[in-house]
Amino acid sequence: MPTHTANLFSIATGSSQPIYRQLVEQVRRLSASGQLRPGDEMPSVREIAQALALNPMTVSKAYSLLEMDGVLARRRGLGMVVAESAPAQPADRAGLLRPTLERAAVEARQLELDPETVLSLFATILKETK
Amino acid sequence: MSAAIVRMSSVSKQFGSQRVLAGLDWQIAPGQVVGLLGRNGAGKSTLLECMLGLREADGGSVSLFGEDVAALSDAARGRIGYVPQRTDLFDWLTPVQMFDYFRALYPRWNQAKVDGLLARWGFGPTLLGKPIKRMSGGEQQRLAIIRALAHEPELLILDEPVSALDPVGRREFLRELVDQVIERGTTVVFSTHILSDLERVAFDLAFLKDGRIALQGQTDALLEGARRIVVPATTLPGTPLAGELRRRQEGAMTSVIVQLPGDDAMRLAREPGVRVEPLTLEDLFIEVTQ
Repeated sequence: MPTHTANLFSIATGSSQPIYRQLVEQVRRLSASGQLRPGDEMPSVREIAQALALNPMTVSKAYSLLEMDGVLARRRGLGMVVAESAPAQPADRAGLLRPTLERAAVEARQLELDPETVLSLFATILKETK
Repeated sequence: MSAAIVRMSSVSKQFGSQRVLAGLDWQIAPGQVVGLLGRNGAGKSTLLECMLGLREADGGSVSLFGEDVAALSDAARGRIGYVPQRTDLFDWLTPVQMFDYFRALYPRWNQAKVDGLLARWGFGPTLLGKPIKRMSGGEQQRLAIIRALAHEPELLILDEPVSALDPVGRREFLRELVDQVIERGTTVVFSTHILSDLERVAFDLAFLKDGRIALQGQTDALLEGARRIVVPATTLPGTPLAGELRRRQEGAMTSVIVQLPGDDAMRLAREPGVRVEPLTLEDLFIEVTQ
């Protein structure tokens, strides 16, 4: 099974999203897209804390939440691994995009854009980034 | 929660007619890593100096490890590390002489740690033989940090410890703090204006304003709970919303900062023309300390 390093993560300070949330969502996205596979070993709390210069309690908090949600599992002697579970359904995966789109929706409202303009812009962006 | 390591009650301090601390209450539990925030001149350094007994408060009480700070035992003193904002003490000595002097004062001095930090932070033989006063601000600040970490304190007080360090130096310092200090369960109080550093390492935050701790809590919870609600002034009730920190008139709109919005704020959010926005730590700093 592959072992991942702290390179998996990139965090942004100065965001309205707390760092533990960023870590949680990154793991969810990577696991939904299959970049993290069941049984993969996750980097240790200490390794992530050291590599990203974060308080280890923040990293622990993210891992505990992911464990509670069944995304990660604690394995004796191995630390955290990606849980053996059914791959995310497309509907679940779309749900992961929701927080990002909610932020975009707030900005669209501030700019007083109508829904059609916003949706056609998003369609264009999706084509461009294919 | 175990007994507080730092306990300040009703602490006041005045310089001439200027009231810096106004009946301040603050408690810090063992193992907490707290970022202290406040505007320039808000009294952060005075607060930390009163906390350590380096400055006598006009009123109130301060205890560290359960002992009155005015009569602190040598044992308790040996458990404290402090990096002041400016360090011009012993600056005629070379680093080697300075560390020799301090080693004699602390029973728990860890020379291997000092040597490791000096090597990692670029203090070669030439620099180690140079008087401290002829070094750059960043080098002096690094030495002050090493000196404060050398006896493996249980309580570490850092007053703007990285103000003279460049981003690389700051990141190295944060890594050291994470690996050598926070991992060991050391209690840390850290004042800085560099909010990104606090977001990374401070699990808790406290805002100093008008001589008191105006807001404190877990960094994550403060960020997740804070909302700016922008409301047409006519829609807004005159009484404060639950958790309201501040309101400000901006033309026809009123901007209200709320921590942990209650039902009233949620109802308001559904009214036409009302906007609800999350805040960054910088927004929160500005809104709470202004």
